[in-house]
Amino acid sequence: MAAEVSSGTKDPARADKVGADDYLRIVDIRKEFDGFVAVDDTTLSVRQGEIFALLGGSGCGKSTLLRCLGGFEKPTAGKIYLDDQEMNDLPPYERPINMMFQSYALFPHMTVEQNIAFGLKQDGHKRDAIARRVDEMLTIVQMTKFGKRKPHQLSGGQQQRVALARSLAKSPKLLLLDEPMGALDKKLRSQMQLELVNIIEKLGVTCVMVTHDQEEAMTMAHRIALMDSGRIRQVGTPDEIYEQPTSRFAAEFIGSVNMVNGRIEEDMADYVTIRSPKLEHLIHIGHGVSGFEGQEVSFAVRPEKLSIGKTEPTQPHNKAEGIIEDIAYFGSHSVYHVRLANGTKFMANFANMQRWASESLTWNDKVWVSWGENAGVVLTS
Amino acid sequence: MSGRTQRWTSWAILGLGFAFLYVPVLILMVYSFNESRLATVWSGFSFKWYGELLRDKQMLSAAWISIKIAFLTASAAVVLGTMAALVMTRMGKFPGKTLFGALITAPLVMPEVIIGLSILLMFVSLGQMVGLAPKGIASIWIAHVTFTLAFVTVVVSSRLAELDKSLEEAAMDLGANRIKVFFLITLPIIAPALVSGWLLAFTLSLDDVVISSFVAGPNSTTLPMKVFSSVRLGLSPKINALATLMILVVAVAAFIGWWIMHRDEKRRKLDMQMAAKEK
Amino acid sequence: MNAPWLKKLLPHPRWSVISVPYVWLLLFFAIPFLIVLKISFSTLAIAMPPYTPVLEYIDSALTLKLNLSNYLALVTDSQYFHAYISSIKIAAISTLLALLIGYPIAYVIAQMPPSSRNIWLMLVILPSWTSFLIRVYAWIGILKNNGLLNNALIGMGIIDEPLKILHTPIAAYIGIVYCYLPFMVLPLYTNLVKHDKRLLEAAYDLGAKPWKAFFKITLPLSKAGIIAGCMLVMIPAVGEFVIPELLGGPDTLMIGRVLWNEFFNNRDWPAASAVAIIMLMLLMIPILIFNRIQQREMEGRLT
Repeated sequence: MAAEVSSGTKDPARADKVGADDYLRIVDIRKEFDGFVAVDDTTLSVRQGEIFALLGGSGCGKSTLLRCLGGFEKPTAGKIYLDDQEMNDLPPYERPINMMFQSYALFPHMTVEQNIAFGLKQDGHKRDAIARRVDEMLTIVQMTKFGKRKPHQLSGGQQQRVALARSLAKSPKLLLLDEPMGALDKKLRSQMQLELVNIIEKLGVTCVMVTHDQEEAMTMAHRIALMDSGRIRQVGTPDEIYEQPTSRFAAEFIGSVNMVNGRIEEDMADYVTIRSPKLEHLIHIGHGVSGFEGQEVSFAVRPEKLSIGKTEPTQPHNKAEGIIEDIAYFGSHSVYHVRLANGTKFMANFANMQRWASESLTWNDKVWVSWGENAGVVLTS
Repeated sequence: MSGRTQRWTSWAILGLGFAFLYVPVLILMVYSFNESRLATVWSGFSFKWYGELLRDKQMLSAAWISIKIAFLTASAAVVLGTMAALVMTRMGKFPGKTLFGALITAPLVMPEVIIGLSILLMFVSLGQMVGLAPKGIASIWIAHVTFTLAFVTVVVSSRLAELDKSLEEAAMDLGANRIKVFFLITLPIIAPALVSGWLLAFTLSLDDVVISSFVAGPNSTTLPMKVFSSVRLGLSPKINALATLMILVVAVAAFIGWWIMHRDEKRRKLDMQMAAKEK
Repeated sequence: MNAPWLKKLLPHPRWSVISVPYVWLLLFFAIPFLIVLKISFSTLAIAMPPYTPVLEYIDSALTLKLNLSNYLALVTDSQYFHAYISSIKIAAISTLLALLIGYPIAYVIAQMPPSSRNIWLMLVILPSWTSFLIRVYAWIGILKNNGLLNNALIGMGIIDEPLKILHTPIAAYIGIVYCYLPFMVLPLYTNLVKHDKRLLEAAYDLGAKPWKAFFKITLPLSKAGIIAGCMLVMIPAVGEFVIPELLGGPDTLMIGRVLWNEFFNNRDWPAASAVAIIMLMLLMIPILIFNRIQQREMEGRLT
């Protein structure tokens, strides 16, 4: 599936406004379950006011890491600091951290108001102070009309708002979101994603979320940590992760990618060429890379960076000839699957800017795919 | 097999099964209104055995003792059984857990004669060693709590096991310690299971004849012990009358319970449908 | 409550929750078995309590006197042996009958639409909420020589002489199946209702006839339920006292009755204890199997 990269409503200026760079510090955290290593010596820093996503497939350790932050799992080794305070030995009920659970975990025997007030009551606030705060939270999540309802009398989206209000009511230093859209249907998701980001940003709370959905991570988070088998593979902003993957895993996990292996032939300060056994022509990169001549590398280029046409491009490199094997029509664009003579396959996107535009290219047509000298990345791991 | 024959087979199975379960009880009830002393020959409708039953002072005092014991048993068994269910479902591993699991499940199947004998011998030994042993109602109470405890634990722990653990985690996350989580979140949610556990322990205690016979002293005859000794002598329409009253009480209680549950369920479903329609 | 010294002084809540039911069960369930074991090695005496001590201080030395005669009697007196064999036979046959009757009922209820399942299930359990004793009693009136069953059969001209059912092992079978049927249906139902209907649909789709699909898919998958149900019926049935006493008549020798008679009629507590110990040993393996299934269920792990 091709990921649609969207910046959401995230305010780009915010990244400058945020406070301490290492507001939340996760240092060498390790978590083992009966010998199975769920989180493997992970170190991570999250800035104040940032929305930070842990992204990865199931079993990659992202949920375990989140539960360590919440205090529901005790790390086997390592330290967690929040605002320079060590969290390790604090039980969940003494941490200034609140979590929105995947199932929302709304207390079924309490009304919406009682749910939101629960945390405040535990802190022993005065009755009228609690009532004021509950009203305030209900207003923020636009649920003022529903305060007296029980959770089962709410729709999925409404339940999520209540869960969010409940976890924000105590003004936690850190908000944890566990698969925040996991229980919603697809249509509601995109709407709630933006709404959630708006509320979190308005309150300026630091937030760590866990998700397996790359679109969700890219839409909601300022920065993403890509996790795989208990380790963090790459940390970066959504566009960094997408445009500059640092490993084959990262390139393949996010969006779709064309990848060919090869060897560095020329390693110059301002350009690099790569010879791939799969391609007739050289790959030419328009900038230097940290490698050496003869090094085995992978070249990755996204389908939307490829051009496709019937005439041979004039450039001497960065091109390949093949036939169209498959066409997937997505409405806004089409993906052409091009097979080279030696069997290598390329995917190329074609934006359908005009109606019926894609009809000019069809099955078994001989075509050329080509790309610019800065279109792809060279991966060494 | 076509759908129709399948449906007929299903109904036939249910029909036969429920006839087997209910016909003997219904016959018993019908003959409680029989004029004749011969419990199997119908000679006319009468309430006379109910009158005799209500005049039987011994029977009534035995019933009162039984109800008292059952009430105390059920109350204690619910407290201990809930604790045991927490131990089984929420405490993780601890040294001695296997033994605990064995001790809590064995009474479910242990023959009553063994439980009765062993508890009695325990009381006797206690009396010999310390000179102090529970007697009469107290000893029946201890014995009944011990064997009903297991049933309560099964009922409560099955509810606890299906309870979404993130509810308790959420409460803890919001600042409630474990004790508060239990009383503010867990207990209210599992309350229906506690009620059914209590009722189960109550009926089991009210019904027990074997264990009570072993541990009861001469002055604490329970209703089942009284019924047993009179049934051993043969049929008595008075017992039919007693049976009918007990069955009626149970049936009415069951119907009320079902009706409350059904009503809540219906209301809940309606609420959920309405909520889904809103945006 | 926030004072740290108080926190240290009070036992950890976890341990207090564990220890209260644990101590109760040890005191009133585990230790009593040890006492039964001890007394099974003592000698009958005309005293109160009617047995000699096993451990004694004689000349300031602790002496252990183990009397094996109770166990020897169990081996040499063929009456006991017969009682054990016939208990196991009666319990096993009754369990099988209960399975054959209970399985179809559980299966049909599990197939019902979810809205009506609960009410049918409640109707299965409802009789067991009324007195056990009274349900046994109900069968006396039906099975007697001049009881309703015989009267009906004679009235219809099917038989001339009344069948003798009451006070035979057949009556005991009927009584056990009748009283324990809900205990068979309940675990079977909980198992069957969890089955994924699509498995059967897949089997049909692949060409299996309904009967074949049942024997190849449903039956093997319900194994855990079958075992649990059979254990719930068989183990207590082996030691059953009331049913053989009221329905079985003098010919239905069952071990629970033997124990009862030794205790109440002969006042031979050591012999009754020895009978109990042997019964426990016989039932140990089934009880352990049952324990494992039940514990897994309680801890919330399914199948």
